[in-house]
Amino acid sequence: MRTLRNIFRRRMRAFLTISGIAIGVFALVVMGSIAEKLTLLVDGGVDYYQGKVVIVPSADSATSLGMLPIDKQRDIERVHGVRAVSAEISARLSTETVTVSFGPLPSVTGSDGKGDPYETFKITYSAGRALRPTENGKVVVGSDLVKKLDAKVGGTVLIRKKRYEVVGIMGKTLTAPDSAVYMTLSDAQQIAADDLPELVRDSVSANKIVSDFAVYPEPGVLPSVLAASIKRKVEGVDAYTAADFEKQIKAPLQIFTTIIYAIGAISLLVGGLSVINTMTMSVSERTREIGIRKAIGASDAQIMGQFVLESAVIGLLGGLGGIVLGTAVAGIGNAAGAASGQAVFLVTTRLMISSVAFAVFLGVVSGFYPAWHAARLNPVAALRYE
Amino acid sequence: MSDMTDAAMNAHVSAEQATTILHAEGLCKRYKLGKENFVDALRGATLDIRRGEMAAIMGPSGSGKSTFMHIAGCLDAPDDGEVWMDGRRIDTLRGADLVRVRRESIGFIFQGFNLIPTLSAEENVALAAEYAGLSRRDSLERGRELLGVVGLGDRMRHVPSELSGGQQQRVAIARALVNDPAIVMGDEPTGDLDTATSAEIVTMMREINTSRGTTFVIVTHNPEVAVACDRTIVMRDGVVADSGEDAGAQSDGNPS
Repeated sequence: MRTLRNIFRRRMRAFLTISGIAIGVFALVVMGSIAEKLTLLVDGGVDYYQGKVVIVPSADSATSLGMLPIDKQRDIERVHGVRAVSAEISARLSTETVTVSFGPLPSVTGSDGKGDPYETFKITYSAGRALRPTENGKVVVGSDLVKKLDAKVGGTVLIRKKRYEVVGIMGKTLTAPDSAVYMTLSDAQQIAADDLPELVRDSVSANKIVSDFAVYPEPGVLPSVLAASIKRKVEGVDAYTAADFEKQIKAPLQIFTTIIYAIGAISLLVGGLSVINTMTMSVSERTREIGIRKAIGASDAQIMGQFVLESAVIGLLGGLGGIVLGTAVAGIGNAAGAASGQAVFLVTTRLMISSVAFAVFLGVVSGFYPAWHAARLNPVAALRYE
Repeated sequence: MSDMTDAAMNAHVSAEQATTILHAEGLCKRYKLGKENFVDALRGATLDIRRGEMAAIMGPSGSGKSTFMHIAGCLDAPDDGEVWMDGRRIDTLRGADLVRVRRESIGFIFQGFNLIPTLSAEENVALAAEYAGLSRRDSLERGRELLGVVGLGDRMRHVPSELSGGQQQRVAIARALVNDPAIVMGDEPTGDLDTATSAEIVTMMREINTSRGTTFVIVTHNPEVAVACDRTIVMRDGVVADSGEDAGAQSDGNPS
């Protein structure tokens, strides 16, 4: 209470200083929430890849159009150590052009479900149930797409000019399935075939193409070993494991998140400088008061503690303000993005706690020099100060 | 300051401990004003303050009264000389030890009242107790008790700007008393007050001096304040020109 009274002795200055911190924390929260979203997305991706090998067209087969012939499924199944192979196909949910995107674009995904019993990435349903691999014309919808598609269980959704019945809504996974619609393999194949260039569309039959295979190894077989032997024995494919995914995606992401946090931290640092300024002014204005406090028995440590505490409280107030502001903006951003099925921000508890902690820490550090200066004042000189 | 003198001084102090609360001997203090420019505020001031007395220190500006008070009050250290408080040498103390003596044995009353503007009357008084290590709650209780003593029981929650000069100075007196100090040092305590209020404050200090036995040392320009005290010490050019001991009082500083 007394600390607050001291801080707000100069209301405007206190408000401006706290705003400086708040804006810094705001930047940290908003940018950090993008980084959090991407990090969890990628962590989810690593989880998804865990324990399996994903087969995609090899990079050098220029004619593949990103597709694999479904015949490869049999070739892969024959490789020693393979337990099951799911054929999967993905296509974009809509043909709208998206220029900027965070995370995966909304998609439709179909699978023949052959590997489902061995899948370790568990999907929950907030409503309805899972889709069976034979239920053509039916779909389950990812949590981020519910609003965009206006989906509810028992109702229908319109995808690429066709109506599908919704049998389930997926729970939040914080990764790819949130922005996906799951349908049967053959339904998804139809959509994917429509996306093929006109020249080849007629020469390819929709039910022969897939975009990838998910390979589940026999117990005791290492995914990396299996990936190597599939690449050796099956022509025109590349095989990826969780480790490859981490190597390819996680390292660049870490650089990205580091940059994002650094930018946030720099804006907060600027706020910290204004705290130093404010506290220095406050100390010099209160020189006489410091003399009084010393005369009535305050030790250097008590004076120092008082000013560091004031500074820390400025940091705390700014931090809380920034959290409120940042969470609000992230919320508004996500609400606006919900229409297109894109939630860009994710304000996590750890992000909030670390942002406020950083702001308080910065307050303490910024207050240190002015407080030290105050504590060292000569009481006689301070008492004479006008 | 050889061991010999120290031993001699100890003997001296123990003999007079019962009556002398503050003993200052040969105090020198030089303030630097510029590179080659300085002022000798004290040039060998020697003074004894008796336990329970109320003494006034007068003298022209620059005579060293305030410097003497700051050194005796542990706010400043002398360049030379010794200060003994309650039989303990304090001029050699530094840092935390000095702060302890200041907060436990000394109370200050200033000319400009010097209350903390953001704190209420009771908080101002309690602050000194809090610095001395009392809990917040006990400090406030003690603060209210002392505000009662100075007759401000109905103004405890007012901030200084809501109080008259006389009331503010009474808060300052309560604050000076909150840790039961051996000596209260007043630096022109009536300097900012009109005659009537000034007399009121002096009367109050006298009452406290009588009822609680608190020693008062009051630096003042006001002859009426000096008259109300037991004796008037006159300082001039950094030394004690007149210790104010009448022919009638015993010259060895050992009355009755």
